[in-house]
Amino acid sequence: MTTTTSTASVASRDPGTPIAVIDSASKRYGGVQALRDVSLSIAPGEVRALLGKNGAGKSTVIRLLSGVEEPDSGSVVLAGTALGRGGVKLAQQLGVRTVYQELSLIPDMTVAENLFMGAWPRRAGQIDRRRMARVSTEALARLELDLDPRVPVSQLSIADQQMVEIARALSQDPALLILDEPTSSLAAAEVDRVLQSVQRIRSAGVAVVYVSHRVSEIRQVADTATIMRDGEVVDTVPMSGVATTDIVRMMVGDADLETPLVTSATERGPVVMRVEGVTVVPKLVDVTFDVHAGEVLGLAGVLGSGRTELLAVMAGLARADSGSVVVDGQRVDGQGLRHAMSLGIGVTPENRKEDGIVPDLGVDENLVLTDWKKVTHRGVISTRRLAAAAARAITSMAVRTGSAHTPIGTLSGGNQQKVVIGRWLHAGSRVLLLDEPTRGVDVQAKAQIYELLRALARDGVAVVFVSSEMDELPLVCDRALVLNGGRIRDEQVTPHIRTDQLLLAAIVEH
Amino acid sequence: MTTTNVAPGTGAAPTTSRRRISLTSQQLNEGGLAVALIVLVVVLSFSSDYFATVDNMWAILGDAALVGIVAWASTLVIVAGEIDISVGPAVAFWSVILAELNGKIDLPLPVAVLVTLVGGALVGAFAGWLRARFGVPSFIVTLGLWSALRGLAQFLTNALPIPVGPSPFLDRLGGKIGPVPASAILMIVLFLIFAFVAQRTAYGRSVYAVGGNARAALLTGINVSRIRVILFATSGAMAALLGIVFAGRLASGNSGAAQGLEFSVIAAVVVGGTSLAGGRGSMLGTLLGVLFITVIGNGLVILGVNSYVQDVVRGGLIVAAVLINMLLANRGRATSH
Repeated sequence: MTTTTSTASVASRDPGTPIAVIDSASKRYGGVQALRDVSLSIAPGEVRALLGKNGAGKSTVIRLLSGVEEPDSGSVVLAGTALGRGGVKLAQQLGVRTVYQELSLIPDMTVAENLFMGAWPRRAGQIDRRRMARVSTEALARLELDLDPRVPVSQLSIADQQMVEIARALSQDPALLILDEPTSSLAAAEVDRVLQSVQRIRSAGVAVVYVSHRVSEIRQVADTATIMRDGEVVDTVPMSGVATTDIVRMMVGDADLETPLVTSATERGPVVMRVEGVTVVPKLVDVTFDVHAGEVLGLAGVLGSGRTELLAVMAGLARADSGSVVVDGQRVDGQGLRHAMSLGIGVTPENRKEDGIVPDLGVDENLVLTDWKKVTHRGVISTRRLAAAAARAITSMAVRTGSAHTPIGTLSGGNQQKVVIGRWLHAGSRVLLLDEPTRGVDVQAKAQIYELLRALARDGVAVVFVSSEMDELPLVCDRALVLNGGRIRDEQVTPHIRTDQLLLAAIVEH
Repeated sequence: MTTTNVAPGTGAAPTTSRRRISLTSQQLNEGGLAVALIVLVVVLSFSSDYFATVDNMWAILGDAALVGIVAWASTLVIVAGEIDISVGPAVAFWSVILAELNGKIDLPLPVAVLVTLVGGALVGAFAGWLRARFGVPSFIVTLGLWSALRGLAQFLTNALPIPVGPSPFLDRLGGKIGPVPASAILMIVLFLIFAFVAQRTAYGRSVYAVGGNARAALLTGINVSRIRVILFATSGAMAALLGIVFAGRLASGNSGAAQGLEFSVIAAVVVGGTSLAGGRGSMLGTLLGVLFITVIGNGLVILGVNSYVQDVVRGGLIVAAVLINMLLANRGRATSH
């Protein structure tokens, strides 16, 4: 393992004992080996970047360090104490604080109340507001934050909220601070503030684990980077001596080049959707491309690249500040989802559970929600036509379900996703906008979904496939666009779509 | 197409067992409630000679109608994840309006009835519009109506009954057809209609979809706002209809009528297994819930229980019924995973 050498190099700079050590840890979730024999060691005052594609094992490492999970084999040692079965509580006692991607502040409470959440200072049975405000101001000052602690968090910008979250973690004197994609929802100027605060934290001797997709950011802030792939540590390297292309190569590996690619593009039909100069301040800048009938068009981009905003514009949910999205000569953006539907656009949301399925309704009813008219006569459901429509979809998409009436909530993620896609086929959509359709879906179901999308493209449907997992794009797309910082940075056409090139375009700051 | 492949009940073996359990958890509710109802009837029959008489049975159905006529619409409202607590005052208000239109202004009865029903629907639609358009919680909107409608009815009448003009139609509606209370027939007809709408129409299923996951429903193009408006319009119209029935029963419009009706309706719906969180519930469950609550009320009166104590017993039994429901549902969920 190269870990030892890097530990040595770190140790030479900082002679203190490592604050966190993971020693040959392995972890399985059901049938998935999430971590395999992972070792790493972090010294006080070190900023360690954790790099890897989605599913590489970064989150599992974070969960081990913060005590949310314990490894199946191997050990986690924090400040010289084995974590064992101590869980989150012991990890916190040993000085680990984690700031997750999703904000966990209570919007209607003040900055000070949030900073002291659950441990409000008390005097004579009452909350000591004066002391709370004073200590809060100090805590904020340490990050050079000029915020009024009496202001409700909901009035702050997202960046300031993120800073409050970091300040909260810092106010408890952590020895190890874990930041999980702290900048993914921030604009460039705000990112700098977070990076500066990380520098400040480091100079106070706190170790930082920094997870991010943005390599330029990592270059500014991290001393060393641990690169992970498929649940293993590929290498731990000093950031100063490694080229970005090498990092990408380590993230992608060679194995991906052997996977079957889409070798022959389907016959591309006429343009069905034009995206022309779409700008949405501050997330999208002058995005222009066409979507053709009969193609699977990949839209790649990491979190915060603008892909969510672009999809919202294409689905009619948001309006472009300038530019437009046009189908059949009719404007789509800002005209609402139902107008988009009437033009033959179908959308599947990123969060299947929250926005996609109606869990208590059967598979059949979930399938026809988009267009009841096909199975009703004057509003009355024809049991026969409903059963036929459901049977057709279930058979053609190989949905594994007990019966057509089975509540969809009991199905596996992959089968739920097929139904969510299938409801747009039921509606007769010509343009499918699929937001991360393979998220949380097992390998076999992923392959089935790719196959389904290829078949749809052959039938002349235009499929827009949004993904943050670059390595699946060569498997399913005829063409792939890479979004980074709100602009299209790269376009690749099958059979020349290469994962490493996509990833490079997606993570390098321009 | 290989329809047979996926016809109901012929699915693959491993998942059918799961389905059977998830089905029974709903049937468990209804079955359990039916058993409770039978036990209650048997116990009361032994406790009182009068309870089990045919006359009393018809009387129970007649009383049940005074809850049921509104409860069907309320079930859909609650399935959609909303609530309408304004039904009691709405019933009183519309009975007063009918009496004013027919008794004071001498509008022909059919016109007065029509105006009352349409008025009820419009006021309901307004509440639904406030909910759908501005996101005002339906509890608050209908709480406002709850206060305003009763107040307006009392202001209009000085809290005195307003007689309705003599009318065979209203007499019949408030009275009996043969041995059967007309209101009970109305209730049963409406039950069949609502059960059909809930199970067999695109609208009804969309209501379940909105209650089960409003965001998902919105993203499939379901007009969630329109559904919410229709829901409250229906609820308002049914309250107005019950107001007309009350006017027939009392031969007057009465601003003090239907006190606490919203309590009985919500209790019946919830006892019937409909989730206040939305997405789940059935008309059959509500029917059983309505009967359960009416039988308890009837039994307590027959047994001569002090009327204040009646409220205590009723409250306790309702919470107990829902508690048992929850325990059964949790057990059902535990075994299905």
